[in-house]
Amino acid sequence: MSKKRPKLKPTTLVELPKETVGVYRPPRQQVFRDHRRFGFSNIVLVLVILFLFMPLFVVITYSFNASKGMRWTGFSLQWYYKLFFESRQLWRAFLNSFIIAITSSVVATILGSLAAIGIKWYRFKSRSYIQVISFLPMVLPEVIIGISMLIFFSAVKIPLGMFSIFVAHTTFNLPFVLLLVSARLDEFDFSIIEAARDLGATERQSLTKVVIPSIAPALLSSMLMAITMSLEDFVITFFVAGPGSTTLPLYVYSMIRYGVSPVVNALSLVLVLGIMVIALTFRRFLKTIAASS
Amino acid sequence: MRKLSLLLLVGITFLLTSCPKEEKVLHLYNWTYYTPEALIEQFEETYGIKVVIDYFASNEDMFAKLKAGAKGYDLVFPSQDYVEIMIHEKMVLPIDHEKIPNLTYISPLVLEKATYDPTMEWSVPYYMGAAGIAVNRKRVSDYPRDWSIFSTKKLANRMSMLDDLREVIGDALAYLGYSVNSVDKKELEEAKRLINQEWKPNLVKFDAEGFAKAFASGEFLVVQGYAEAIYEELDTELWENVDFFLPPSGGPMYLDSMVIPKGANNTEAAHLFINFIHTPEVYAQFLDRFHFPSSVNTAAAPYMTTEPFYHVEDLENYELKRDLGENLTLYNTLWETIRYNE
Repeated sequence: MSKKRPKLKPTTLVELPKETVGVYRPPRQQVFRDHRRFGFSNIVLVLVILFLFMPLFVVITYSFNASKGMRWTGFSLQWYYKLFFESRQLWRAFLNSFIIAITSSVVATILGSLAAIGIKWYRFKSRSYIQVISFLPMVLPEVIIGISMLIFFSAVKIPLGMFSIFVAHTTFNLPFVLLLVSARLDEFDFSIIEAARDLGATERQSLTKVVIPSIAPALLSSMLMAITMSLEDFVITFFVAGPGSTTLPLYVYSMIRYGVSPVVNALSLVLVLGIMVIALTFRRFLKTIAASS
Repeated sequence: MRKLSLLLLVGITFLLTSCPKEEKVLHLYNWTYYTPEALIEQFEETYGIKVVIDYFASNEDMFAKLKAGAKGYDLVFPSQDYVEIMIHEKMVLPIDHEKIPNLTYISPLVLEKATYDPTMEWSVPYYMGAAGIAVNRKRVSDYPRDWSIFSTKKLANRMSMLDDLREVIGDALAYLGYSVNSVDKKELEEAKRLINQEWKPNLVKFDAEGFAKAFASGEFLVVQGYAEAIYEELDTELWENVDFFLPPSGGPMYLDSMVIPKGANNTEAAHLFINFIHTPEVYAQFLDRFHFPSSVNTAAAPYMTTEPFYHVEDLENYELKRDLGENLTLYNTLWETIRYNE
């Protein structure tokens, strides 16, 4: 068997004459029309990109401005110096945001994915109710969630602070995790579990060794989404924040009275760069996970 | 599964216990930047007390938060009308004068104006000031230095006033010679006519957020606003182009105070902080940061190294905005006809 197989040459069965008069040749299929240079879709594309990125571009440009106002007076890194060495309060707010984003997204991912697996795995009476109720926080206006949580926390005497924000963020992140993970589970072939059980795996083993590895990309992406949503949330956090728990969005908002300083512009660039680095590394990471499962 | 739930339990208890339980922490609830960070650090070093600050953007935010039952703030910085409301609603703790020897420096003139708490039983004044008018001196010459500047036709569409009903209506009332807290329907009607017929046609808009940036860029030539916000947007070498003045006919004025809310954990540190901030040398640093006049603390002026944007004497005809209670609806309906009706 060590003999190499001869390479097969692609051959055509019937040699067609290159120009045959009278032979019907179907026109090239054109699903889309030609991309005219100033076609409607191109204009919309350019406008959308402009509207999406122009503000960001302006913010980043002015973070290098030598003066405070919107008048360009020269290149300077002073706002970056201020950001890194003279903005203790801003970094404290950032740290608060970060802590809450990580803890709430981890807990939301664990609870949400277990819930999704449970709903898919078992048939029980209240199954559809749970599904419907768990999507409520997603459709309810944030103001209502915020105010009702505030009332709830003061009613059961939970002090407002980091813990109350953590609970609130976990709550509004749960439905998103549930949705993402259930979508992944819908594609999941349950005969694999049957096979695992058939081969002697216990229920828990088939969860940890079969189900979780195969939905790992969905777990990771829902966690990343939970982190972003927690980082950017203003409305709910505004209601449930207490002493010593100012998050970054709250801090930036409270600057309005005195004028938002260009330090925030500098922070925007740092954040955008940081997120890009994380996103790129995670993309590679996600691909390897997806490939291995 | 048991391991996991155990882990969860441990995590939650950790989070619960790691919440504010440490000793020697002072929780401030303040306007952003209102207390310079350098002073906070000085306080921390001198007394060995860690300071944690949370910020609010408006009195309404702060009040809503406290009213909803937020506990644990040791010192809050509301403005006069909300101090009055909070005293009335019994939301604050009394000030112990024996712990604050520096109270002797508080100007009697300020206390005279603070009729809701003239003996500092519940609140200690932090800073008193007023919004004024800033004029781009380079491009505008020959203008009245009074509220009537907003009637100047040649400056039409290059001027803005604050998007704040008490400020704008108060200015008009003061200009007409009435009290800024007037609830007299005839006087208010007159003020409305003045604003709608004389001032508003010349204004670009009512703006409380972007006016300083627009003034700095040269888009607006005359703005009504707070001096510290206007100058903050400009580089120091451009300051000479700005004429900032408080119209002599008077207007509304604000007085931010420090109060200790109920539910404070560290009233001891709160008293220490009040005493610290009113030490003349320290208070002068606060004034220097914003180029404020020494309106509240009488002994700080000699320690100041900067020239303030306006002077205490300018505030003579100014009147504190009082809480209007029920009558605020009068102002609200008036403001709607000014703000939204063409």
